[in-house]
Amino acid sequence: MFLICGTIPQADAGLVMGEARFNGSKLHVGNMEIPCTQGTAALVSAACVVASHCRINAPQVIFAGDTGSGQGSRLLYDYLIKNLPQLNPDILLLHYILPVMGLMKKVSEVTEKCSKKPVMIADASSMYAAKAAGLAGQFDIFTPDLSEMEFLADAEAIHPAYISHHLFRAEIAHIDELIEAAYRQKSMAKTVVVKGAIDHIVQDGKITFMLDRPDLPQLEAIGGTGDTISGMVGAFIDAGFSHYDAAIKALKANREAGQYAKATPATKISQIIAAIPQVLNYQ
Amino acid sequence: MIFKRTKKQARFAGGGLVLFQSVEEAIAAEKVLWANNYDVKLVAPPPQLRKGCDLAVEFNIVEKAGVERLLRQKDKHFAEILPVKGAGELLDVVKVKYFADACMVKAGNMKLTFDKNTGVILNISGGGCPDIPYLHLSMVDKKITDVARPKDKGHTLCALMLDRAFVEALEIFRKETN
Repeated sequence: MFLICGTIPQADAGLVMGEARFNGSKLHVGNMEIPCTQGTAALVSAACVVASHCRINAPQVIFAGDTGSGQGSRLLYDYLIKNLPQLNPDILLLHYILPVMGLMKKVSEVTEKCSKKPVMIADASSMYAAKAAGLAGQFDIFTPDLSEMEFLADAEAIHPAYISHHLFRAEIAHIDELIEAAYRQKSMAKTVVVKGAIDHIVQDGKITFMLDRPDLPQLEAIGGTGDTISGMVGAFIDAGFSHYDAAIKALKANREAGQYAKATPATKISQIIAAIPQVLNYQ
Repeated sequence: MIFKRTKKQARFAGGGLVLFQSVEEAIAAEKVLWANNYDVKLVAPPPQLRKGCDLAVEFNIVEKAGVERLLRQKDKHFAEILPVKGAGELLDVVKVKYFADACMVKAGNMKLTFDKNTGVILNISGGGCPDIPYLHLSMVDKKITDVARPKDKGHTLCALMLDRAFVEALEIFRKETN
């Protein structure tokens, strides 16, 4: 079972759990319709598209309503700490959840009580918490963008807002150094998918794949284009692909969907997701 | 009693310090933050960070925007808010990228893109904290001159980074339309 955990921007939603259902434009979990916008909703929607394409079960989801106060995030942490062994997911993807290092440590510890430790994927603030808490080595996959890669490379930073200025000024030409520094500091998951103008897959500290075509710089502006990659990676792994192959398929599908949708800086993530089924059919 | 609030210790994140000129200010701020569901504790700041008194409030640095706003709203005076480790200042480097009719401003992990002609916010990308999807919904497709600053509605460091991008974008838009 592929379990995705994150927040939705509805303060009073509490915890919303169940199988995700995406019909091409609307995302539902239980009786609730979730707006398909940037964040975990986009991630889940893209994962549903891949699941449908691969003819596997849609992902299970635990959403917490949280607009930033952290109350929903803490509900979600508590639920996972109490229930993960019973849920026993094969793949656990942690996404937009307020970073609380102590609680992330407990979630990581409790995965050891599952009958088999799940494949652990972290993106967004869950990746921030995992790195800051010194838990990167417990994770199989991180999916940072370039600024988040700079954060992973900064030994002291506990959030990308506090990375050293010299690292932020570094551009893509320095990615080798960022990877080397992050790997040396044990801030890297086993596989790291760096999303950017040039996508990189890094395994055990070594770049094993790069992708820069089709060249669509406007994708960086579109909120959610990193989320869709993370969701697709998880879903392809659930369908049986290796972590490496899943990452390649997700990176290619994302760029090709942007091209198919004729993306501009004004394009919304729902339009990119709507194009993913078309491009998957040609992969 | 304030040192015995142990039931939330397991969930305490820390990483940020509010520094004060006096012990009374520190205690008053701690009470306000605690009453508003922030996980905080009174600590002695490291000597190199000490500003006034030898008591500080430690909190989850990710929640800096919300903590700072609440203390100001409640008129609780403080000297400074700093991370315990790493760079003392928020990243203040901003990068700007132009597309045909759009301009993308990047501050740290946050990017805000607006229409150069109309000022409409076209997209917000990057970030990872839970207030970003909320800010995205409340800002996108609205004119940049008509929306509240992210730091006035957000709670986290991602919101503060988005605020930096927003301020720069607003300045660029005003310059280009004047």
